[in-house]
Amino acid sequence: MPVFKLCLKIIKKNLVSISLYIGIFLLIAALISLSGTAEQASGFSASKAKIAFMAEESTPLVEGFRQVLEEQATLVELPDDKEKLQDALFFRDVTYVVRIPSGFTKDFLENRGTRLEKTTVPGTTDNAYVDLRVQQYWKLANLHLAGNLGITQEALAEQLKQDMAANTTVNMAQFQNKKDFSQSFAANYFNYTAYSLTSVLILGISAIMMVFHNKDLRRRNFCSPIPAGSFTMQLFLANLVYTIAAWAVIAAACFALSPQEILTGNMPYLLVNSIVFTFCMSCLSFLIGNLVTSRNALSAIANVVGLGPSFISGVFVPQQFLGDTVLRIASFTPTYWFVQGNTRISTLTSFNWTSLSPVFYDMLIQIGFAAAFLSAALMLGKRKQLQA
Amino acid sequence: MFGHIMLTRMKCLLRDRQLMFWTLFFPLILGTFFQMAFSNLDKTESFKPIAAAVIENDAYKNNSFFRQLMDTVSEGDSRIFNLTRTVTAEEANQLLEAGDIVGYYTADGNQVSLTVKSSGINQSIMKSFADQYLQTSSAVEEIIQTNPQALQNGILSKLSDELDLMKEVPIGSAPLSLSVNYFYTLIAMACFYGSFLGLKEVTDIQADLSNCAMRVNMSPVHKFKAFLAGMTGALIIHFAEILILLAYVTQILKVDFGSKTGYVLATAFLGCVLGLSFGSLISAAFKKNENTKTAILLTSIMIGSFLAGMMAMNMKYQVMKYMPILSYLNPVNLLTDALYSLYYYDTLDRYLLNMGLMGAFAAVFCLGTYLIIRRRKYASL
Repeated sequence: MPVFKLCLKIIKKNLVSISLYIGIFLLIAALISLSGTAEQASGFSASKAKIAFMAEESTPLVEGFRQVLEEQATLVELPDDKEKLQDALFFRDVTYVVRIPSGFTKDFLENRGTRLEKTTVPGTTDNAYVDLRVQQYWKLANLHLAGNLGITQEALAEQLKQDMAANTTVNMAQFQNKKDFSQSFAANYFNYTAYSLTSVLILGISAIMMVFHNKDLRRRNFCSPIPAGSFTMQLFLANLVYTIAAWAVIAAACFALSPQEILTGNMPYLLVNSIVFTFCMSCLSFLIGNLVTSRNALSAIANVVGLGPSFISGVFVPQQFLGDTVLRIASFTPTYWFVQGNTRISTLTSFNWTSLSPVFYDMLIQIGFAAAFLSAALMLGKRKQLQA
Repeated sequence: MFGHIMLTRMKCLLRDRQLMFWTLFFPLILGTFFQMAFSNLDKTESFKPIAAAVIENDAYKNNSFFRQLMDTVSEGDSRIFNLTRTVTAEEANQLLEAGDIVGYYTADGNQVSLTVKSSGINQSIMKSFADQYLQTSSAVEEIIQTNPQALQNGILSKLSDELDLMKEVPIGSAPLSLSVNYFYTLIAMACFYGSFLGLKEVTDIQADLSNCAMRVNMSPVHKFKAFLAGMTGALIIHFAEILILLAYVTQILKVDFGSKTGYVLATAFLGCVLGLSFGSLISAAFKKNENTKTAILLTSIMIGSFLAGMMAMNMKYQVMKYMPILSYLNPVNLLTDALYSLYYYDTLDRYLLNMGLMGAFAAVFCLGTYLIIRRRKYASL
């Protein structure tokens, strides 16, 4: 099979740039998995906001306040420097800086109206969450002061500690689901594969196709005793082998990075969806290989076609955070349907026809795209053949 | 002669379609994608009223304090909850399963419990709110026990008092946007993509690198003069490209760069010099083929951009916090940080530090290039 062998040779020649893409992708994926997608606890765990606590005085009341905040927030140690605090807020290392001016406790006890200073990222959910607790502490302190006139500061702090310990019972409703899969490593991982698979397939398959589109080479090939059918079959086989290899490496890496997720019920569907997408992208690469004639243009196209749909379809930024117009534009790319399929699959808790049919619908659309790419490529190929 | 060489070199660069794509069109395209992906980013963290439910059972109806509390926080513009009142627990469960509500409260005697289906910030707020109710009731009970008179003195009216306790102290004048830093790294990256122009200039003047350079070296023009003319042309083109990009990002994509326009332009210009000189140094220092040099450039620019926060904004902060030295040694970050400080800080100290370091880097790159390419003689080519 000389054509097939040649294709493998071409791939081998391009292996460096291709494995660079896969390597960088796997490195990032490994980093993500190491940093650990938080293990979903089965019970309820309250969120913790990130706060910088700047106290210019240390009194029992302020200490009590710090302890109460600590139950609901992570106190991040930051130097009391304006630029450092600005940076921390801008990059969301903390979302709330609370400053207790010196003399605050005394003023508060004597009701002189000195206020706490807060600096926040305005209007955020975290902000509202912290505000609730901050307000509550001082409100209760006020209440005790009004109701119990002679109370000492120490007694007040102790009393507040007791009050604030009151805890609501939280029940976790069980809806026949075993485990929430949507935050799992695999769900995010497969979304990210959209970018690397697209780039790798375009680079590899188009590199093969481009060689054969050289006019002189084509004319010579027509003279060869290998029948056209066999020629096409070998070419097709080579592309297929390459596609499967690329997919297998990326899918295997998922198992290696997160072995505990292999046996979940969602995994087979994620794999099927990813195969469908890979097939679709190989058809697209086939088309690009037919269209593009210059090797230099290829890297430009691989980048734009790889990055663009990933950006607008929710690979880098989840779909729920994207604007409606953007998503509507994105729905003209197969990546959108792939990501949507993944999202649907990862939230599935039961696997019957009604819950699965939207997933199949997403896959069907990807297959539709694949068919369109393939027929366009074949049409172009035929035309080029006639020109040769 | 200088002008002639410069114009010819500019034509050469402008006709190189691949070069133009990477230095001009690719940043424009990437900026568009950024805008599409990040335009909603700031809205994601803003607080919206939480969809919650409460079961209106007898306990709830009899618990006037809790009922009042629920009513006050689910009305008005600054409400915490969009409250649904259901009659039975089954009804609330259905809403919860369908995802229409985040959780629901069940009153039982004086106690209140919360039912949710997962953990999260909204669920935590719901819990925090119920905690408040429990804490306040326990405090009131305690007060009445120790001091029964308090009830007559109107302690309960204190409960609804708004406490004016917090003073919001804004930090800096610019909004804390989550997306601007991505665009600053984009500008920085585009400046550094100018290194491909520098690479081409050196390749076309070093006789051992290209045929064109062999011919140029034969001509009776002083090599340094020819090189300077070429670099000036490249700088003009590159700065024009960056201006186009800046205009697109600020005027069409409406990204906020703060009000110090003059400084932003100065930063962009220094960034162009930095990018060009970086490319020429790499091109002069490595006697490899052009593909390898391009790969070296791309890799170093990408690593630099990554550390400056182009792929994940937090990266820039982590480097700044845990390895501050690295953030000063990364020219892409210096450029990003200069734009960031113009946007965000009130003072120019940090900006000037960044510009000074960028100037130093540019000087080192230029000097390095000069020392490598000067007085080269070739016995045979």
